Amino acid sequence: MDDHDLYAALLHETKNHLVLLTLTLDSIPHTRQDAHDAPLDAARLLGHKVAERLMQAMLLYKAEAGALRLNAVNAYSPEDMVAEMAQQARSLAKHLEVVARVDADVPPIWFFDRNLLQMALMNAIHNSISYARARIEVRAALSDGMLALSVRDDSDGYPEHILELTAQGLPLQSNGTGLGIRFARLIAQAHRNEEREGELRLYNDAGAVFEMRLP
Amino acid sequence: MALADPAPAFDYKSKTALVIDDFPSMRAAFKTALAAFGLTKVDMAATAAEAISRVKRTRYDIIISDYNLGGGRDGQQVLEEMRHLGLIGLETAFLMVTAESVYERVVAAAELAPDDYLIKPFNADIMRTRLDGILAKKETFRQIHRDFMAGHMEAALAGCDGLIKGRSKYLIDAMRFKGEVLVAMGRHDEAGELYEQVIRMRAVPWARLGLARTLQLRNRLPEAERLLVTLVGQYPELVSGYDLLADVQVAMDKSHEAQVTLKRGVTMSPRSVQRQRRLGQVSYKNQDIEEAEGAFGAVVSKGKNSIYLAPDDFANLSRVYLETERGSDALRVIQDNQSWLQESTEGKLVASVMTGLYQARKGNVAEAERHMKEALRHRQMGADGKPELLLDMAEACLKSGLDEQAAQLVSEVARNAHDSEQLLDQAKRIYAAAGKGSEIDEVIRKATEQVARLSKEGALLAQKGDLVNATGTLLQAAQQAPRNPRVLMNAAWVALRLMEEDAGQSQHLAEVRALLEEAWNIAPDHPRIGGLQTKLRLVEAKLGFRSVPLRKKGPSHGRP
Ligand SMILES: Nc1ncnc2c1ncn2[C@@H]1O[C@H](COP(=O)(O)OP(=O)(O)O)[C@@H](O)[C@H]1O
Repeated sequence: MDDHDLYAALLHETKNHLVLLTLTLDSIPHTRQDAHDAPLDAARLLGHKVAERLMQAMLLYKAEAGALRLNAVNAYSPEDMVAEMAQQARSLAKHLEVVARVDADVPPIWFFDRNLLQMALMNAIHNSISYARARIEVRAALSDGMLALSVRDDSDGYPEHILELTAQGLPLQSNGTGLGIRFARLIAQAHRNEEREGELRLYNDAGAVFEMRLP
Repeated sequence: MALADPAPAFDYKSKTALVIDDFPSMRAAFKTALAAFGLTKVDMAATAAEAISRVKRTRYDIIISDYNLGGGRDGQQVLEEMRHLGLIGLETAFLMVTAESVYERVVAAAELAPDDYLIKPFNADIMRTRLDGILAKKETFRQIHRDFMAGHMEAALAGCDGLIKGRSKYLIDAMRFKGEVLVAMGRHDEAGELYEQVIRMRAVPWARLGLARTLQLRNRLPEAERLLVTLVGQYPELVSGYDLLADVQVAMDKSHEAQVTLKRGVTMSPRSVQRQRRLGQVSYKNQDIEEAEGAFGAVVSKGKNSIYLAPDDFANLSRVYLETERGSDALRVIQDNQSWLQESTEGKLVASVMTGLYQARKGNVAEAERHMKEALRHRQMGADGKPELLLDMAEACLKSGLDEQAAQLVSEVARNAHDSEQLLDQAKRIYAAAGKGSEIDEVIRKATEQVARLSKEGALLAQKGDLVNATGTLLQAAQQAPRNPRVLMNAAWVALRLMEEDAGQSQHLAEVRALLEEAWNIAPDHPRIGGLQTKLRLVEAKLGFRSVPLRKKGPSHGRP
C-alpha cells in the first residue's frame, strides 16, 4: 500500500464513519425538552459542518491551481433544489422560520452540478443558521438570463471584510476566514455555458444575501 | 411567485427495500434511517452475490447499494447484472451510494445509470429527498415504462411527448427516454435530432453519446468517430464512450485504433469482463498476442464471479497460449477450471476441443483423437460453439485423422461466414499447414457459393421492390446460413417489410420470429437487432398477433 492508497483508505473510512455518526444522530427523536433537543440539534449541525469541511478538503485536493472542472452537469429542477435546501435548514434549525420560494419565471429545469451546488448552498445555510435572528429564505429566481439560487436571512449581514474579499476575488489559497465563501465562488465560476460564467454575489439587504448565479 | 412545498411525502410503509453494503454497521444505519421513514420491510446483503440471489427471490421497490462492495466488485456491476438478467425492471428504484471521487465515473457510465446518487457524507434528510425524488419520477413515468416494456412503443412515445410539451421538470428525462424508445424502434434519424436538440440546450455527455450511437446506426461512421474522440477526450472517464468508439473503429476497418481505444477504456475501468474480452478479440485479430493474452487472462481472472463469464473465454485464453507455444499453460487454463466447464455442454465442448488441440499439436494423435471424439459427441448433444472454436476443432480433427469430420466443420463454419474473410482465411491456413490446402478450397467454395448467391440475388430483388421474391430468396439464404446473424437479419428485415405492405403474407411471421430470436441469441449487441425487434412487434400487432418478447435460448452458463 503506498501513501496514496493509504490516504484514500483513511478518507474512505472517515467518510463512512461520518455517515454513520450523522445517521445515528438523525435517528434520535426530539423530545420537545430543551435540555435534550438543544444539544441534539447542536450536535447535528456540528456533524453537518464537519462533513462540509471534509468535502471542502477533498475539493481543494481536486481543484489544483484554483480551477475546478465540472464533470457531472445535468438537468435538475431548481424547484427541487430549493425544496431540498429548505428542508435541510428546517431539519437543522427548528427555532427558525424557513421559507422556500420559486419565482414564476424560473424554468422547470436548469443545468448544473447538483452535488457541488448543494455544497455551496449548504455552507450558506449553515452560516445563516448561526447568524439569523428568526428567518431564512431559500429562493430561485431568474436574473439577467441566469438562474439565481439564494439564501437570505435576517442577520446583521456580512461584515465588511468578507464583502471586500468577494469583491476582490482573492485566491483560494490565501489565509484567513472565508474559506466556505471562496469555495462557493469557485463552484459558481466553474459553471459555464457558452461564453457566460457563473458568479457568486454576496450583499446585505436587511440581512445577509448569498446568491449563486448560474448561466 | 410560488412557494415551493417540501417534496411530497411518500408512503414508505407498503414498500420493500434491499440494502447492499459490505459494512455491517452501515447496513444497520441504513435500516434505522429507513425505519424512520416508515419503511420496515428491509433486507440486507453484504456482497454482490448475496444481493443477486436475494433479488432473484424477492421483488424490491427500492435498492440502495454502496458503490464499493469489496472483493473486486462494485455497485455498478450489481446494477448491470440485475438489469442484464432481467431481475429488476424500470419500476425498481436504484439508489447508488458513492464517494465523491468515484461519483463522476459512475455518472459517466451513463448508459445503465442508477436512478440517483447519494454522495458520502450525507444525512437522513438528503437520503429521504433523494428517495422521494426517485419515487415521484417513477410514478410519473410508470405508464410510459409499462408501455415500453409491453412493446407499445407508440404509446410510450406519446407519454414522453406529453411530458416534453407540458414543461414538466422531467422534460430532459422524458427526452432522454424518448431517445431510447426511438432507437429501439429503429427511428434513428429522429433519435439523432432529439439528441441534437438536447445538445443545443447543453452539451451533456449522455446526449452526445446518444447522438454518436444514432450516427453509428445510420452508418455515418466518420462523424460518429469524430464526435466520440472529442467526447472521451473531454471526459476520459466516460467508459461507454470507448466501447462505442471501438465498435465504430472496427466497422471502419481501423482495428489498430480500436485496440488503442479499448486499451484506454480498460485502463479506466479494468473490471469490465465484456470490455476486456473485446480488447482481447481485437488484439488477437491485430496479431498482438501479448495484449490478447493479457486481456483474455483478465477476463478469466476478473470474471470469476461474473455472470458474463462464458466457456468461450477459457478457449480464448487457451488458444493464445497454444499460439505462443506454451502448451502446458493452455492445458492448465482448462484443467484449473474443469469443474466450472463441466457444468454446461458448451463448457464441455470447450474443454474437449482445447485439450484435444493441445494433444494434437504435441503430436499425441491417439490422445487427440479420443478428445475429438468426445467433442463430436458434445456437438451431437447440441453443444454450441463459436466459429473460432469450431475451427480449432477442425484442426484437431484433421491432425488426428478425422478428415471427414474436419471438412464438415469447416463447411459449417464457411456456410455461416461467407462474408468473413478472417474466418475463411483461418480455415485455409489450417488445411495448408496440414499439407491439404487443395482439398479445402473446394469445401469452402461449395459451402459459401449458395449463400453468397442467394444473398446477392435477394438484395437485388429487394432493391427493385420485388419483396415477394426477395423474401423467398433471403429466407432460403437464412436456411443455408442459420448461424450468420447478418444473413438472418437481412431476411427478417425484407420479410417484415413485405408483411407490412401485404397482410396476406403473414405465413412468414413464425419463421421471421425464429430467425430474429436466433440472431439475437448469437449477436445480442448487434446495432440492428433492436430496430428489428420493434419492427417485428409492430407487424405482429398490425396482423393481429399478440406479441411476446424474444426468448433467450438455453440455460445460460450461470452460477447459483
Ligand atoms: N449569514 C451570515 N450573516 C452574517 N455573517 C456571515 C453570514 N455568513 C457568513 N458570515 C461571515 O462570513 C464569514 C465567512 O463565511 P464562510 O466563508 O462561510 O466561513 P468559514 O471561514 O468558516 O468557511 C464568517 O466567518 C462570518 O463572519
